Amino acid sequence: MSEHLDCRQVVDRLYDFLDGELTATDAEEVRAHMAACAHCFERSDFEAAFLRFLEARGKGKDCPPEVRRRILDSLL
Amino acid sequence: MTDPDPRVSFEREALPHLDTMYRVALRLTGDPSRADDLTQDAMLKAFRGWHTFTSGTNARAWLLTILRNQFINDYRRTKNQGPAVDIMEIEGHTVFADVQETDPAGRFFDQIVDDEVTAAIEALPDEFREAVILSDLEGLPYAEIAEILGVPVGTVKSRLHRGRQILQRRLYQYAVDMGYIRGAQP
Repeated sequence: MSEHLDCRQVVDRLYDFLDGELTATDAEEVRAHMAACAHCFERSDFEAAFLRFLEARGKGKDCPPEVRRRILDSLL
Repeated sequence: MTDPDPRVSFEREALPHLDTMYRVALRLTGDPSRADDLTQDAMLKAFRGWHTFTSGTNARAWLLTILRNQFINDYRRTKNQGPAVDIMEIEGHTVFADVQETDPAGRFFDQIVDDEVTAAIEALPDEFREAVILSDLEGLPYAEIAEILGVPVGTVKSRLHRGRQILQRRLYQYAVDMGYIRGAQP
């Protein structure tokens, strides 16, 4: 059990951490490292900002009403 | 508990995912009229195969698998497979390293216009693009993406990682070219 992660290990786990894919214990280890490491904290902040930006600006539009209607008519 | 009328269970379990299907189709095809057709074709195929779906399991993953297979069959061969060179170039070189002195919070991203974001996503090689769409735009967990793409979770992670790095690099370069941020000294 690695209680103290180094920067390399934190960077390797960063996307898993930000995507909510780490176990609670592993996520806690990443948080503990970041609390003491300004560089990893900033890096995490940057990647999180990028992912928020991507979702907010890249996501496609919902199904237009006329397409929904056409699909429903063909199915039901 | 089987509904006598498949339309009832299809409407209850499949149709709530129609917007997700359409958004994914739009980013896969990069074209609204193709997205219309792809969504409709996939929904029709799903309805015809609805008896093979196990009620109560993950309908979203099941539907997106059908959509993605339909996309591969109909559209992919006419689309870019992406340049292998760019992918090699970004290894080991992060945008954060370039901006940590000037803009560590990544504020420059907010100045980038939506069309450029869309173009950057659509220019990704297909295998990275589908991972980015499902994770970063639709918020699906790794395991569900792995199920849809038919690859191990580790492969999803490495495709996501590379896809994100390619996107970051392109959008950063755009921001430098537009003067939103000063480029790092080589």
